[in-house]
Amino acid sequence: MPAEPILRAESLAKGFGEAEARVELFSGLSLELGAGEATAIVGPSGCGKSTLLHLLAGLDRPDAGRVLVDGRDWTALAPEPRARWRGEAVGFVFQLHHLLPELTAEENVALPLLLAGSPEGAARTAARELLSRVGLSRQSGSFPRVLSGGERQRVAIARAVVRSPRLLLCDEPTGSLDAAHAADVLELLLGAARERAGALLLVTHDPGVASRCGSVRTLTPDGLSAA
Amino acid sequence: MGVVALAAFVGLVLGVAALVGALALLSGFQSHVLSRLADETPHVLVTPAGRPDFAGEEGAGRTLAALPGVVSVVPVVRGRGWITARGQAVPAALTGREGADGITLDPSQSRQLSAFPGEEVVVVSSRSRLSPIGPVPITASLPVTDVAVASTGRHQPEAVLPADAARRLFGLPSAGATGYELRLADADAAADVAARARAALGETATATTTWQEANRPLLLALKLERLAIFATVFLVVVVAGLNLAATSAVLAATRRGDAAVLTVLGAGPALLARVFLLAGLLLGAAGTLSGLAVGAILAIVLDATKALPLPAQLFSLAHVPFRVTARDLLAVGTFSLLWSFVASLVPARMAARVDVAEALRAG
Repeated sequence: MPAEPILRAESLAKGFGEAEARVELFSGLSLELGAGEATAIVGPSGCGKSTLLHLLAGLDRPDAGRVLVDGRDWTALAPEPRARWRGEAVGFVFQLHHLLPELTAEENVALPLLLAGSPEGAARTAARELLSRVGLSRQSGSFPRVLSGGERQRVAIARAVVRSPRLLLCDEPTGSLDAAHAADVLELLLGAARERAGALLLVTHDPGVASRCGSVRTLTPDGLSAA
Repeated sequence: MGVVALAAFVGLVLGVAALVGALALLSGFQSHVLSRLADETPHVLVTPAGRPDFAGEEGAGRTLAALPGVVSVVPVVRGRGWITARGQAVPAALTGREGADGITLDPSQSRQLSAFPGEEVVVVSSRSRLSPIGPVPITASLPVTDVAVASTGRHQPEAVLPADAARRLFGLPSAGATGYELRLADADAAADVAARARAALGETATATTTWQEANRPLLLALKLERLAIFATVFLVVVVAGLNLAATSAVLAATRRGDAAVLTVLGAGPALLARVFLLAGLLLGAAGTLSGLAVGAILAIVLDATKALPLPAQLFSLAHVPFRVTARDLLAVGTFSLLWSFVASLVPARMAARVDVAEALRAG
């Protein structure tokens, strides 16, 4: 019996607006990602790549279709259990780091564990360990405003993987970085997915970044096609 | 955001401080009025019921003096009569008291009779005595020693004369009394002492009037005044609370992106609501505590330094009194905190219902 995919999206459809102003982004979109797989999604600006990630992460509702992570359909969940499920199963990395400015790097990384109810000491220890692995042990007490763009993104990656999620979703994670930092960040993401035998889905404009993933798909109004 | 939060904080501090200051001012004045009332009115007046006087009950005074909390017992002789001088006569309530060496007229009586200290007046009793020529009025000629409002707790013009003269006028034996005025160690215990006095002298044979009962209309007016002032200044805190609500709403709107990030990290709507509710409450608590401190310190300093003088010819006080009470601080603090909580509910709901995808797109 084949292993259950970590991520399965079935016949997703999404559009915005009403009546004549309605814009359909995509429909009939299906996707499967297994353990250890890394897939890049490319497409022109405005085609709905970020929206697709939001649907997969349970941050937005599809007009049709459903999303299963580890066989569990989040579209059937109420907001509270869906939030708990998301925190546990999904790690999310944004193009802009979205770190909380009032918290230090260590506190930002520990935040998902604290939200899940972990003791503060254990959460901070885990956060320091992860920051060390992304090469930021000396910056653990620094606030985001004093970190460089690449450092902030590495902190964001540490925050995304601190709860060892099965699915890592990345929205243009290297979009705001120079080539050297982008390569570092990409390596970290691929390594994190490999280590945890999870799945990585990455949205990017950069063909170089996309080519580092195992497969590349293009988002079209009719769904995903092989690039 | 910092400026908006600061404005809300300052607004709440000023509102709470104004309420504390207004109540302290009111408490100061009322405390002065109550203290004067308690000083000038017998704490408990014990009178006979079903008979005109305590004649033949000389032990009553000793019984009352033995009650716990009683500092002094003064026998009084009360009755009605007329005061005449220069062919003028005015009806008068008369009170005989030990220690008086002449008659003290009420200012209104003095004016009507044109009788002033040093002059003689004749007091005519409402009772009469039999003589060979028939009933004749009982009179006493007394020098006017003072003109003053009598502090007997009765709200009518009253003349005070020596107890012996009053006994003669009203036909009482020596040491007889129509009532006893009690002064207590604690004026607030008047109701308890009155009950014990009735129990000691016979519940059905004794009537008592406490200083609070004697001044009931005035005390009621003071309570109403306090309520009116509280309700008026209270509006300042309500407005400050609305300002806090607006600030919390701005906070929820400007931190929408952070709320969205917390959602991505696994925070549910309930947790987000709690976070923003806590933020509003912290702001409210900080504003409330600071306001209480500012108001209380200001009132205490103004009272201690006598910084606000009053014209002596108009008031019996030399300066504006402030009195900060724990009860007022508790009432203001509780209300302000409750209002802060209510004011934070709407922004908290806003944060809980954040459209995450939209907030993330907006950056």
